[in-house]
Amino acid sequence: MSATAESVQERRAALKGLGTSRKRVEDARFTQGKGNYVDDIKLPDMLFGDFVRSQHAHARVKSIDTSAAMELPGVIAVLTAKDLEPLNLHWMPTLAGDKQMVLADGKVLFQGQEIAFVIAEDRYIAADAVDLVKVEFEELPVLVDPFKAELPDAPILREDIADEKEGAHGARRHPNHIFTWEQGDKAATETVIGEADVVAEEMVYYHRTHPCPMETCGSVASMDKVNGKLTLWGTFQAPHVVRTVASLLSGIAEHNIRVVSPDIGGGFGNKVGVYPGYVCSIVASIVTGKPVKWVEDRMENLSATAFARDYWMQGKIAATKEGKITGLWCHTTADHGAFDACADPTKYPAGFMNICTGSYDIPTAYLAVDGIYTNKAPGGVAYRCSFRVTEAAYFIERMIEVLAIKLNMDAAELRAKNFIRKDQFPYQSALGWEYDSGDYHTAWDKALESVGYSKLREEQSQRVEDFKAGKTRKLMGIGLCHFTEIVGAGPVKNCDILGMGMFDSCEIRIHPTGSALARLGTISQGQGHATTFAQILATEIGISADDITIEEGDTDTAPYGLGTYGSRSTPVAGAATAMAGRKIRAKAQMIAAYLLEVHDNDIEWEVDRFVVKGAPEKFKTMKEIAYASYNQAIPGVEPGLEAVSYYDPPNMTYPFGAYVCVMDVDVDTGVSDIRQFYALDDCGTRINPMIIEGQVHGGLTEALAIALGQEIAYDELGNVKTGTLMDFFIPTSWETPNYQTDFTETPSPHHPIGAKGVGESPNVGGVPAFSNAINDAFRAFGLTHTHMPHDHWRIWKTANELGLHAES
Amino acid sequence: MVLEEEVQIPLDRNTVFQALNDPEVLKQSIPGCEELKQITDTELEATVVIKFGPVKASFNSNVEVDPSQGPELFKLTGKGDAGVAGFVSGGADVHLDENDAGTLLRYVVNIDISGKLAQVGGRLIESTSKRIAKKFFANFEEVLLKRQT
Repeated sequence: MSATAESVQERRAALKGLGTSRKRVEDARFTQGKGNYVDDIKLPDMLFGDFVRSQHAHARVKSIDTSAAMELPGVIAVLTAKDLEPLNLHWMPTLAGDKQMVLADGKVLFQGQEIAFVIAEDRYIAADAVDLVKVEFEELPVLVDPFKAELPDAPILREDIADEKEGAHGARRHPNHIFTWEQGDKAATETVIGEADVVAEEMVYYHRTHPCPMETCGSVASMDKVNGKLTLWGTFQAPHVVRTVASLLSGIAEHNIRVVSPDIGGGFGNKVGVYPGYVCSIVASIVTGKPVKWVEDRMENLSATAFARDYWMQGKIAATKEGKITGLWCHTTADHGAFDACADPTKYPAGFMNICTGSYDIPTAYLAVDGIYTNKAPGGVAYRCSFRVTEAAYFIERMIEVLAIKLNMDAAELRAKNFIRKDQFPYQSALGWEYDSGDYHTAWDKALESVGYSKLREEQSQRVEDFKAGKTRKLMGIGLCHFTEIVGAGPVKNCDILGMGMFDSCEIRIHPTGSALARLGTISQGQGHATTFAQILATEIGISADDITIEEGDTDTAPYGLGTYGSRSTPVAGAATAMAGRKIRAKAQMIAAYLLEVHDNDIEWEVDRFVVKGAPEKFKTMKEIAYASYNQAIPGVEPGLEAVSYYDPPNMTYPFGAYVCVMDVDVDTGVSDIRQFYALDDCGTRINPMIIEGQVHGGLTEALAIALGQEIAYDELGNVKTGTLMDFFIPTSWETPNYQTDFTETPSPHHPIGAKGVGESPNVGGVPAFSNAINDAFRAFGLTHTHMPHDHWRIWKTANELGLHAES
Repeated sequence: MVLEEEVQIPLDRNTVFQALNDPEVLKQSIPGCEELKQITDTELEATVVIKFGPVKASFNSNVEVDPSQGPELFKLTGKGDAGVAGFVSGGADVHLDENDAGTLLRYVVNIDISGKLAQVGGRLIESTSKRIAKKFFANFEEVLLKRQT
């Protein structure tokens, strides 16, 4: 008996399925520099496009003179809005139901906006020609402050829709106003706040930043005029959506468009949107009959493609004297820039901001979000998070800290007092979500114990005494965070983008010799899909992950899917993979029963084979079944072993985590030093612990960047002040601390394998942990809240304003 | 951005003021000035090449001078267009005070900068602008003193 058990274990290990820290199969090519990115695509006779962009944030375009550019040898054409207008491509729809200029149509609304597209024989000639295009501007007043958008003297930005009282998301009260989105019970919440023992109020600003993937956005369009087929390679997080949108916009039938996402060098939400460069490269290829490549540079990426965040969140949180939260109120002013190009499900113009009750059992809540136009780049994408979930988590985790100060209570204790209890799941939140599962108290206790929380607080108190006594100039901050995410959009009944339901898909072919090919509707940008999806499938169908090829990103071969963002790949496509695997197994069971000459019900699945119940020596392995499925006539069963699943999840998944950050802050230099960072993540079933750890490290580092310095800052003229990596903070190994990772495992009850998604958790939870640590360092000196990013200068300024630099 | 600075020139106020209105003197004094044409009594057109760190920009500039409050005050406003590199607009008030050592020039310059210059050169613009202003007056003094001899 023990021998059999051992061999079962050995066979299970050989599959390298769920729970295995399998090395990433992608890395063989990446570590050898053999990745194939958009800019690696080189086609015969390929031309290059480059944009003339606006230097002004708001101006009328009075004239565009392309004659000098056209005279430069090697320049093929210069496209302007006038050239695109007959094709009706001078404007394009955004993912948020607004429209956006492809090339400036009479005016420009943000610095870096696309004005003309130069097509030349090489990219150097194109860049030289860009300098030769003369644009005459008439400057207009610039609006950069969303709170000034509706003042009487505010310039009207969107003259094209100035008179429209209804937008894509309901009534508009002003030409610069996009939408108001309300959730929860306003009257009840205001009553609770009016009658509460304690109310804490704060304005919490989550500043504008940018996903800044290592590879910038780009595309190569190739129109084959002989067979009428358009092929478009690009940095697309959602290639199938791009195909559908390209078909709708261009009028080219969808079967004549092939969209390919090759290797992608990081997306983080930046590559979800549709950009003028894609449209212009397509038009240029149609016009010239040659392939046209467009790849933006770093400044173009930072200043013109989709930004993230920029939410001003005014909050009120009510509680009893004992610290039981009774109500939460939030009004958000959302700066969307010049066009509403947020990548959110259609019914959620502020994404899932209504997850802002966080991990807490808050009986009454109200949220309103006002979207505002300003003279800034469009975007508002989910930068390594599900739609607006980082904003929501930052808001509630700051409000909890502010409330703890008001109650004069320990912030860890306040959290524990208000967590949704394990027995309350599935939990219906006041703002409309059904949390699928969770065990917050267990995770929280484990986190606090692991870091030695009470000792840390004692040390902190001693530090304050020492500081006051002049023995040290460094304060100590303890940043706590317990976040709950909502990922895996989503049920088609409430989640779609441009009307396209947010299901996902997997198609599996088992080859006669027992290896397999699986194709999915998602696309990896570094997440390691080729590694992890093979592991899901290995456990489901008993074929080693090493014998399964995963393919994504080519719309001619992959099944239709909505792509990879918002941690939806594992919750949705991962579920489709498991479900398709189960279809394979169901057919395999019929074949095995036939081969073993028993009834279907008399055999059972065991790791990689079907075994006759009670007769373990009688079995058929999946490999044997695969061969038989193709090569043996089985009555009533079609040849072959293939399956497809299109999975529409019944609910979203709710990963959570408990993070603690311990920091020393130098009051005189503003330098923060991260002493310890502990991250406990609960992402349900863990597919590949090594990849999870890598995801957590990466997400925490991006969180560190955002919390401690990374921003897209504008001056009052609408100039992007952080348009290069000299000013836009990307942490290096110098700034990045060691991370200590940990986990609990609370499987999702509705997901086929119980997995919840993890790639974005560390960004969602990391930002509040870093920020809370900075704020906490100054709590003893009267600070309630200070805005991110907490760069050295701002920390110094905070210390200065608190009088900590005064001569003693 | 506002720049305030003062410079002492060992010449009398009228001479200095006249020189500020002399296109030939200006052309020789403005660092990187490749061309300067007088359009009317008060309007000038100039081509000026300036390097802001990694960005070299050639500005096509229109400048309007206002000598009406002279010789105590010389004013100018202008715009410079460097195409995709950026756009500069602003003005300057130059106060001329006579003293024992000649003339003390106190200037207040207001500049707004847009475009790539503001992005790439953001951290360099103030120091570059100060350097250009200093260089201008150094050249200016040199040209005038040369004329005197």
